[in-house]
Amino acid sequence: MGFFVTSLIFLLVGVIAAIFVRLCCNRGPSTNLLHLTLVITAIICCWMMWAIVYLAQLKPLIVPILNEGD
Amino acid sequence: MSSDGNRSDAGGWCCPPMDLMRSEPMQLVQVIIPVESSRVAVSYLGDLGLLQFKDLNKDKTPFQRTYANQIKRCGEMARRLRFFKDQMAKAGISSSTLPDVVETPSDFDDLEVKLGELEAELTEINANNEKLQITYNELLEYILVLRKAGEFFFTAQNSAVTHQKIEEHRTADGSIETPLLAQDMLNDSKQINLGFVSGLVPKGKSIAFERILFRATRGNMFLKQSSIEDLVTNPVSGEKVAKNVFVVFYSGERAKAKILKICEVFGANLYPFTEDLEKQKKMSEEISGKIKELKITIDLGLARRDKLLKNISYQFEQWNNLARKEKAVYHTLNMFSYDVTKKCLVAEGWSPIFASAQIKNVLLKAKVDSNSQIGSIFQVLTTKESPPTYFQTNKFTTAFQDIVDAYGVAKYQEANPGVYTIITFPFLFAVMFGDWGHGICLLIATLYFVLKENKLSTQKLGDITEMIFGGRYVILMMALSSIYTGFIYNEFFSVPFEIFGKSAYACADVSCSDATTQGLVKVRPTYPFGVDPEWHGSRTELPFLNSLKMKLSILLGVAQMNLGIMMSYFNGSFFKNSLNIWYQFVPQMIFLNSLFGYLSLLIIMKWCTGSKADLYHIMIYMFLSPTDDLDENQLFNGQKSLQLVLLSLALISVPWMLFPKPLLLKKQHEERHQGQAYAMLQTTDSNTIQIEQDQTFNDHEEFEFSEIFVHQLIHTIEFVLGAVSNTASYLRLWALSLAHSELSSVFYEKVLILAWGYNNYAILAIGFIVFLCATIGVLLVMETLSAFLHALRLHWVEFQNKFYEGDGYKFAPFSFVSIPNEED
Repeated sequence: MGFFVTSLIFLLVGVIAAIFVRLCCNRGPSTNLLHLTLVITAIICCWMMWAIVYLAQLKPLIVPILNEGD
Repeated sequence: MSSDGNRSDAGGWCCPPMDLMRSEPMQLVQVIIPVESSRVAVSYLGDLGLLQFKDLNKDKTPFQRTYANQIKRCGEMARRLRFFKDQMAKAGISSSTLPDVVETPSDFDDLEVKLGELEAELTEINANNEKLQITYNELLEYILVLRKAGEFFFTAQNSAVTHQKIEEHRTADGSIETPLLAQDMLNDSKQINLGFVSGLVPKGKSIAFERILFRATRGNMFLKQSSIEDLVTNPVSGEKVAKNVFVVFYSGERAKAKILKICEVFGANLYPFTEDLEKQKKMSEEISGKIKELKITIDLGLARRDKLLKNISYQFEQWNNLARKEKAVYHTLNMFSYDVTKKCLVAEGWSPIFASAQIKNVLLKAKVDSNSQIGSIFQVLTTKESPPTYFQTNKFTTAFQDIVDAYGVAKYQEANPGVYTIITFPFLFAVMFGDWGHGICLLIATLYFVLKENKLSTQKLGDITEMIFGGRYVILMMALSSIYTGFIYNEFFSVPFEIFGKSAYACADVSCSDATTQGLVKVRPTYPFGVDPEWHGSRTELPFLNSLKMKLSILLGVAQMNLGIMMSYFNGSFFKNSLNIWYQFVPQMIFLNSLFGYLSLLIIMKWCTGSKADLYHIMIYMFLSPTDDLDENQLFNGQKSLQLVLLSLALISVPWMLFPKPLLLKKQHEERHQGQAYAMLQTTDSNTIQIEQDQTFNDHEEFEFSEIFVHQLIHTIEFVLGAVSNTASYLRLWALSLAHSELSSVFYEKVLILAWGYNNYAILAIGFIVFLCATIGVLLVMETLSAFLHALRLHWVEFQNKFYEGDGYKFAPFSFVSIPNEED
């Protein structure tokens, strides 16, 4: 799928989540900003974790060596 | 520290306002309430719960305060209510509210009178019942005495008659063996000297009783005892004791006196008894009748008491609440200062600015409801005191805010780490807990609490359940995050799945001959989401995962620490503290990122290029010999010169953090002082006012340069050393994650799979139960607590020490909701 395509998917999910949260609980500008901050933080955390694990496996220096009897 | 640059109360505009980011702006208000509406006003303010009163009578003892008497009355009411509660508990009636009891909460004085009446009535009923009960028990004992003693006399009489017949057959003279009684019955003249008493004595004391009677009367007595099988209720104490019926015969008045005294000492109850059979029968019948009557009377008495208690129980909660509210109101009224001349009370307190309108409305309502002529006055005072911190949290954010407050309550209006904690805390927990099977278990457990929260919030839960219930939304977030990281680590009870596509690795050739020596080869693109399932169970799994998780921890740690330093920028710009921004925020950012930001960059570059460079080597030799050539450790062109630049940036940022700020603070302080010195020469009115203001300002602030400098030195050392130690501290994310996955894998392989291998249902069942217990006990409870604790530590120390001061105090408004129930 590629790194950039999946990152784009994360971005889209974030945007959709932000819109969804704005539509379902619209409670004044400061509260909306809080919700937006939470959504952005969550998406960034999720993306970072995925990206780190993905990049680590991109050009591996060691490969799985199976156990005997597998 | 109060001399931290300019501090203005109105915040700067660097960013639009965000809920929960900064505590609510507060103001010190003064309310002047006329006496007649004071009680009602305070009661309504308690319902509103947005005003924290200051105690204006701090130097007075509780007895010197204005409303000490009322509080005594409230205490008396509370005592009566406790008495009712005890009585209800003894009678087994619980306080319930009958839905159609519409009696409105009565006035304070009415309630007091009513409670007094009820108490008197209840005590009277209880006393009467007790008396009746004692009489009842005595009568029961009497019946026993009649029965048993009657048996003695009957058997004695029979044996006397038989003996006499034998004697008559044997000799004509009397012999010593003729029973006394028989002689008594025949010989009337000798009856005068012999008497007897009958009664009951506790079984345990009967032997001692007999011995002492024997000694006291020098053997001139005859005691016959017979035990009763059932336990008898002791009339005075009401407890059931094993007793013996006894009859003791004596001769003479002195012996009688001694025996009576001894009976008293041993707690033996005496009952009159006649030898005459007829009279005995009559007494028995009489007493049986009396017993029946008494039972009915007692039952009626108890029924009446129960009815009274039931009536009380319907309104008990209401009265209880009313009494507590009144007591709280009077305690609060005691904090106001009483102005005798103007017949009003002056109250001072902190309240949020947004609550001004609500408070004014409440005061108006109080004026109307208490039929007062004068309204209350509400005015805002200016002060230099630091206001309390108030965050408006809902049921979701309260738990996270409590987590932050447990370390330290935020200073008034400083940036609240709680905002980010809502997301990062469950996320860091999940990094250490990552297993989507365990995450689902946690989710199910916490959904129970969340879905039933309405019912559970009114119940009284145990201590631990209370804690879990309070943190249900935190655990919910933790569970959802764990499911996500479980998919990333690809562990379902330590078993990987190929959910997101085919694994990237396959055998090098069709025969898979060197799969166990050289290993597999990467034939397809990288596994799209998470860790490739082929890694699990391979020999190189640990080296790979260790390297991955360590680097993951470092990257996440550097990200969170950067966020922390950014928060200090937000604080600096909000409080318009440019010193903090230029001489603390900027050098801190430069130092952290030129070292550990660079390390993060190296990690990512190594992954992207697949280079074999040794990152430890690069970092260490960047310091030890920065000018050496990099050779095989080169990741990109110009790396050597970049490293030199970063190293020098890091080196100059240290004195940049240390020296300018104290020197500039000193200069600012001197400027203020100089202004004052010049103003003394001029005597125009405006300047004298200026002098007063400056003087008051300077009175609060003494400037000790050495103190400021040492403070800055400590701050700098803490940051510089902390940069290394905090970054290493994030490696606990790796350590706990490794522990979790190893434990999980051991339980799976060595318990479940082992049991499966035996092909025996019984062993499989046992194995499954052991697996279940181990998973729940070790992984779901212990590991959850452990990861929770470590995620908490990472937030409290590594994240918050970059920006958080946390030396504020929490807003504690006067509110009826928060009054603890003292009886519980």
